[in-house]
Amino acid sequence: MRASVVALTAAVLVGAASTAHAHFQLVYTPEVMLENPAEIPFKLVFGHPMENGHVMDMGLPEAFTVTFKGKTTDLKDTLKEITWTGAHNDAKAYETTYKVRRNGDYVFALTPAPYYEGSEDIYIQQIAKAYVNKGAMPTSWNEPLGLATEIVPLTKPYQTYAGGTFTGQLLAEGKPVAGAECEIEYINPEIDMDGNAFAKEAKGPVPASAIVAITDPNGMFTFGIPRAGVWGFACLGSGPDKEHEGKELSQDAVLWINAGTLQ
Amino acid sequence: MRAFVPLLVAAATLAASSAAAHTPLCSCYDNGDGTVLCEGGFSDGSSASGVPVKVFDASGKVVLDGKMSENSEFEFKKPDGDYKVLFDAGPGHEIEIDGSDIVE
Repeated sequence: MRASVVALTAAVLVGAASTAHAHFQLVYTPEVMLENPAEIPFKLVFGHPMENGHVMDMGLPEAFTVTFKGKTTDLKDTLKEITWTGAHNDAKAYETTYKVRRNGDYVFALTPAPYYEGSEDIYIQQIAKAYVNKGAMPTSWNEPLGLATEIVPLTKPYQTYAGGTFTGQLLAEGKPVAGAECEIEYINPEIDMDGNAFAKEAKGPVPASAIVAITDPNGMFTFGIPRAGVWGFACLGSGPDKEHEGKELSQDAVLWINAGTLQ
Repeated sequence: MRAFVPLLVAAATLAASSAAAHTPLCSCYDNGDGTVLCEGGFSDGSSASGVPVKVFDASGKVVLDGKMSENSEFEFKKPDGDYKVLFDAGPGHEIEIDGSDIVE
């Protein structure tokens, strides 16, 4: 009896079970539309950004690249391990910087090491993409990178608007994935880039359950963006790899977009 | 010299490159080896290949007259002293960049 009381209390503390499952692999940089050349900082953090919940230890990523005008550059060796301070705990994360000079779209792609989620007894691997544009010159934001699974934007990802929509197409090995569940969150806490931390208190609203869109027969989903900020989409289990070290693997596709206001 | 006045107006609207579908874009970089690289384009993603580019010295004299390459690029030897670059994609589509704003 006592054990079940403890378990229930724990469940209540982390809120509805659905939000507790919304893991998001962040690939974060504060400025995504640059006018001038700049050295931009990146933080790679695994957490629960909307509820400002638990942060998870990342292993050394399998890959981190940037693709610019069809040329992909390996940035894995530039990654530095850091300790990220979440609202409730600390976790291993990574950082790097990248010098942006020429005009066009820069697509950053992270393939993290699979993460063991004890509560579900599964591994999670969220292959994540984030976009930076220089000089307002669009070049390749709408093209797939050829990742195992990925979301391809049909709306300019670095320039969406609160009150507008975002449409994406989910692919696995280049083919549309129908009927996949895509969880949707925004980064609620302020991010302290120098201190490698989420703010203790997140001021934005947290929905009662996960925001979810299901991909249509062409792998498409559309989301009406309710507020400005950084929004993420995590389409679950869309990747081809289903197993890691003898356990179930959820290989997910994550995409980050930036929503401003247009008033 | 007077001819620069409308050009300055064009430069002032450069920041608002988001609204029109065919806004000219041009960025220049100091390569740090005595050369300057300019890349042009349009906000709809189209190429600026063949667009005329001029470089003026401090007195307003044209010291270089060329065109954007097929990669929408124009590279030139950095003039001594003050200079300006003009990306000229036609009326209302000019961009002028002051040499002092061209950094590595």
